[in-house]
Amino acid sequence: MASEQGSGQGQVQIRFSTKQEQYAVPDIPFAVPSGITPAELNTLLNQLLSENRTDISTPVDFDFIVCKEFLIQPLNELLEERNISSEEVVDVEYVEQHPTPEPMDCLMHDDWVSAVQVRNGWILTGCYDNTLHLWTKSGTHHLTIPGHSGPVKAVAWVSLTPTVGSFVSVSHDQTAMLWKWNIEENSVDCIHVCRGHERSLECVSVNHNSTLMATGGWDTLLKIWTTSMRETVAVPAQSTGDSDESDAKRAKLELKSHIKTPIMTLKGHKEAISSVVWTDTQELATASWDHTLRLWDGELGGIKTEIAGNKPFFDMSYSALNGTVVTASADRHIRLYDLRSTEGSLVKSMFTSHTKWVQSVKWSTTDEHLFLSGAHDSQVLLWDSRSPKAPLYNLEGHDDKVMCCDWSNPKYMVSGGADKTVRIFKSRNAPNKNEEGMDD
Amino acid sequence: MATNKVAAKRKLEKAVINEKANGSTSLTSDNESEDEDLLQTISDNDSTDGEDQDLSDEDSDGYVESIEGDSNEEDASGEEDESGDEDESGDEEEGTDDSEAEDEEGTDESDLEWESDEEESADEEPADSKLNEAKTSSNGKLGGKFKIDKVKGDKIKDTGAPKGPSKSPAEDKSSSDIVKGSESNSDEALQGKSEPPADEYAAGDTSDEEDIRNTVGNIPMNWYDEYPHIGYDSEGKRIMRPKTGDTLDQFLKRMEDPNFFRTVKDPQTGQEVVLSDRDVELIKRLQSGKIPDASFDDTAPWVEYFTSDVMKTPLRKFPEHKKSFLPSKSEAARVSKYVHHLKMGWMKTRQQRAEERQKKREKNFYMLWGTDDNASEEMRRIHNHLPAPKRLLPGHAESYNPPAEYLFDEREMRQWESMADTPHKRKLHFLPQKYSSLRAVPAYSRYIRERFLRCLDLYMCPRAMKMKLAIQPEDLLPKLPSPKDLQPFPTTLAVVYEGHTDMVRTISLDMKGQFLISGSDDCTVKVWEVATGRCMRTINVGGTVRSVCWCPNQSLSLVAVAADRKLLLINPGVGDNLVVAKTDALLKEIPEESSAVPERVKTAVQWEQGNEEEWSYGIRVVVTHFKEIKQVTWHGRGDYFSSVMPEGANRSVLIHQLSKRRSQVPFSRSKGLVQCVLFHPIQPMLFVATQRHIRVYDLLKQKMTKKLETFAKWISSIAIHPNGDNILVGTYDRKMLWFDLDLSTEPYKALRLHGTAVRGVAFHKRYPLFASASDDRSVIVSHGMVYNDLLKNPLIVPLKRLAYHDSNNDFGVFDVIFHPTQPWVFSAGADKTVRLYS
Repeated sequence: MASEQGSGQGQVQIRFSTKQEQYAVPDIPFAVPSGITPAELNTLLNQLLSENRTDISTPVDFDFIVCKEFLIQPLNELLEERNISSEEVVDVEYVEQHPTPEPMDCLMHDDWVSAVQVRNGWILTGCYDNTLHLWTKSGTHHLTIPGHSGPVKAVAWVSLTPTVGSFVSVSHDQTAMLWKWNIEENSVDCIHVCRGHERSLECVSVNHNSTLMATGGWDTLLKIWTTSMRETVAVPAQSTGDSDESDAKRAKLELKSHIKTPIMTLKGHKEAISSVVWTDTQELATASWDHTLRLWDGELGGIKTEIAGNKPFFDMSYSALNGTVVTASADRHIRLYDLRSTEGSLVKSMFTSHTKWVQSVKWSTTDEHLFLSGAHDSQVLLWDSRSPKAPLYNLEGHDDKVMCCDWSNPKYMVSGGADKTVRIFKSRNAPNKNEEGMDD
Repeated sequence: MATNKVAAKRKLEKAVINEKANGSTSLTSDNESEDEDLLQTISDNDSTDGEDQDLSDEDSDGYVESIEGDSNEEDASGEEDESGDEDESGDEEEGTDDSEAEDEEGTDESDLEWESDEEESADEEPADSKLNEAKTSSNGKLGGKFKIDKVKGDKIKDTGAPKGPSKSPAEDKSSSDIVKGSESNSDEALQGKSEPPADEYAAGDTSDEEDIRNTVGNIPMNWYDEYPHIGYDSEGKRIMRPKTGDTLDQFLKRMEDPNFFRTVKDPQTGQEVVLSDRDVELIKRLQSGKIPDASFDDTAPWVEYFTSDVMKTPLRKFPEHKKSFLPSKSEAARVSKYVHHLKMGWMKTRQQRAEERQKKREKNFYMLWGTDDNASEEMRRIHNHLPAPKRLLPGHAESYNPPAEYLFDEREMRQWESMADTPHKRKLHFLPQKYSSLRAVPAYSRYIRERFLRCLDLYMCPRAMKMKLAIQPEDLLPKLPSPKDLQPFPTTLAVVYEGHTDMVRTISLDMKGQFLISGSDDCTVKVWEVATGRCMRTINVGGTVRSVCWCPNQSLSLVAVAADRKLLLINPGVGDNLVVAKTDALLKEIPEESSAVPERVKTAVQWEQGNEEEWSYGIRVVVTHFKEIKQVTWHGRGDYFSSVMPEGANRSVLIHQLSKRRSQVPFSRSKGLVQCVLFHPIQPMLFVATQRHIRVYDLLKQKMTKKLETFAKWISSIAIHPNGDNILVGTYDRKMLWFDLDLSTEPYKALRLHGTAVRGVAFHKRYPLFASASDDRSVIVSHGMVYNDLLKNPLIVPLKRLAYHDSNNDFGVFDVIFHPTQPWVFSAGADKTVRLYS
């Protein structure tokens, strides 16, 4: 049968392998037409599985990885591209296809959503109308938190327990605010106003054990703060959602909340810091408009490494699982850097599918290969790092620029944009994945 | 071998000569003719007496055998003797050189004598054996010579004792034939020879003295032919000619005397001498052209005492003479002479001579019909001449009696006549006509004219080939670097700032590049966040905004906005809160007016503090002008700013000072319709652009320093390079002019990149980029590298055309500005948007 098919083209020997043991097949080379497509491979593999395994009844969709890259074109094209002889046995690794994310909810806001972060079942968003919003995972609006006098540019959860939560928000008003949320009482207090930046803030990041946070902004400074909260007189914040708060009230609020100053200020960038992440307990990485990525020592306060790009960076995300960062910059490419490697090309791979500036990127917390990206072309894309040419899924929904995205909770892919909405997609994880972090 | 032989011969001769010197040779006759006679006689004897010869042959053979053993040559010679005269003559001919022949004769003489000495001892064994020994003991030439000496020695030794008995038969013979008188002589001669050697040597005489009994000396003996005597002996007495017997005696002698054939006459003494066997042998050998000494081995191996090889270092004591290293001057002179002769043709090489001969032998052809055309062309000095086309040969139509079909019918005739105005278009230049006979043909009326025209044509139209230069238009373009190498520069649309409801005329960026302010025809200014395209603030200014300019002073948060007749200083309230607050505080205080404002200024400008409502919008100060303001621009320090009112006549340019809130009118006279002004980024200079000129004023000296000639009809905008030496001017007549202030007051480059009016130009502060905006909806980004080297002119390369704006009412893009730090460019368009390209 195969020989009939392969009259025009040669045959190639392939060997299937997988890391997912439940789908293992015998390690026998197969001769297939060299121009076999992923869909044909899938049929073949399912046939094999049905022959060998009794426990798998329904066909499963697989992705095939050849030479560390997802197979999207016919096999021979990839082999030609990589200069691999068709004489050799080609190892084809297969993984179960990542299930299609399901659109779940759309959270309507009054203004552009510039920041979003999910922790357990709670979605915290920051808005250009100077407010923060708390939503439940089911999409019900829980709280509107006014307090900032400028657009909120970034938010981050510090801690969350069933009774009390705390988070931080940074804004154009040059402050970062540390909030405490009493869930039972449903009241949010601004515990600390972090002052020190001289221009608008762009980013905030809380370290892994939630003791420190780092902020960066247009004053080119990276400031590190503690997240510890001194109990103050609890003044319940106005949770009416009334945006026209008088200046006096705000002043009063600020007066009552304690002013925090940074424990460390790191100078080095020449232009605005657009993103900061903690890569270790005492190590930070920043991305800046001055075309550089820098790795900082949070303890000693020095620059460890500097990687020069050629475009201003807008966002970066660090994955603890594979130790690499993906960056969004002022072009349509997403670049993958390995901060620790110094030799070879700095850009390990480049992901191109967006058509305008990429504004936000976020690694998956559970899968070392998956990440999300949002761009000005109103697309949110789900990528596999082994597939640089095409994304896995396009999470459609936004009809204006995407400003932020988040995948902190592996279950939910969340993105916010200039269409004043936050879109939630439910990520159905592959069955083998543990249901970790789903504790609510 | 042959050379060896000759050499051996020479050696032998030498040896003979040596002997001569020793005096052993006593043969007196040098006369060749006599020698020949002698030989002749021998040969005669040979031919006449065959038996005798045989005998002698045998003897000689035996003799030869006894000395040398068997030798082929000897046999051959013996056999040849029988063949007679011819052989002998042939042998003689074999001698190559005259000298050789002479040598042979010389040896003949000596050997003759020498052999005769030994004739008796020839048979004796001991001498022979000794000879043999000597011969065997020594090889080669020297050995040969030595051997000869030895032989002589032997001979000398031997001569003494055995001579007496052996001589007696010869004596008998001679005595029997010779007349008595002469007998004594001959006796004496023989006796003298046979004198004991001891006496001889004791007397100190040499043998030749003894031999010369005749004292006449070495003279031709025929001198004495007439005399009865043949000379004088040592005592002065005549030596009488011995009586030669008559024919009968001769005959008898021949018959009886077995030695007759070897009897010769000594011309000096007149005696008859009987040659010994050895003499005969010698003569025979000479006759056959062999080496006379039979014992000499001419085939002996050659011993090289001096090598014939050319040695690297010759065995010579002295070094080569300097001459051998220097080229010979005389030779050089001779060669040069030859060369000169060859050059001048006086001397010819063999090849040349052969060629000449060949040529002479060939047939000559001449161009019988060689026209003088070619020559005349050369005379006229027309190169690459194209000869005029030849006239066609006459055809049938030209005949005086053409066939009927060549004659014109009516239609053709009409056609002919219709082309009377344009005769050159006719197919024929004559009318075919038919005549009955040649006599009837009239003279050709156009003959003279046509000849004349032809001559004119030849004379006036020299048909020379024209050299054409093939220059491709591309070759004339300068080589520009590829745009790829000039990155980064903006290439794609990145952000669109939407929100204005009418044309956006003007944009400005804050110094950090975080915010953008735009002024529009919808009477608002909007502040935008650059990165996201978010409108941060909208301020209604109550008039068409024609110009906005962000204050370059970073400690102030202030924008100058020109709205109709009002110039507004607006605090946009973005950026550093502290700066915003400080700016507000600063502008709240109204500084005291230090001096009286001149009337001229007062009527032009009024400063006002923004009222309560305006203040809440952000408007801090209002400067009301008396005419519409077209442009406002800040000085680099951020304290002074200037406004332009094109209709303000001589007060069209105003300079305001923010800190003192006062204005001044720098120019008292109008220079024209002022379009825009610009402060120099570093020096205290002001550029004022009128419709056609740009004047450069020194603000300190308060006078004009330069006037730039644009050759344009209407200037729209100017921009200055951050270094301040280069100015870009946009004009409404589609051009963009680049002025290098150091170079000239005329444009260094005029760029016509746009199809319609250029409305805005801008330089980047950090990157070598400049951009222009035009009504053709496009923004063109170009590379404009200015070098520090004064000798190097700026490099200008157009890079990218960005046409994303829509046209509105024939307006395209109004303003263009670069991001202060990134290679991004913003454009304000008539399509109500501001666009960012990255």
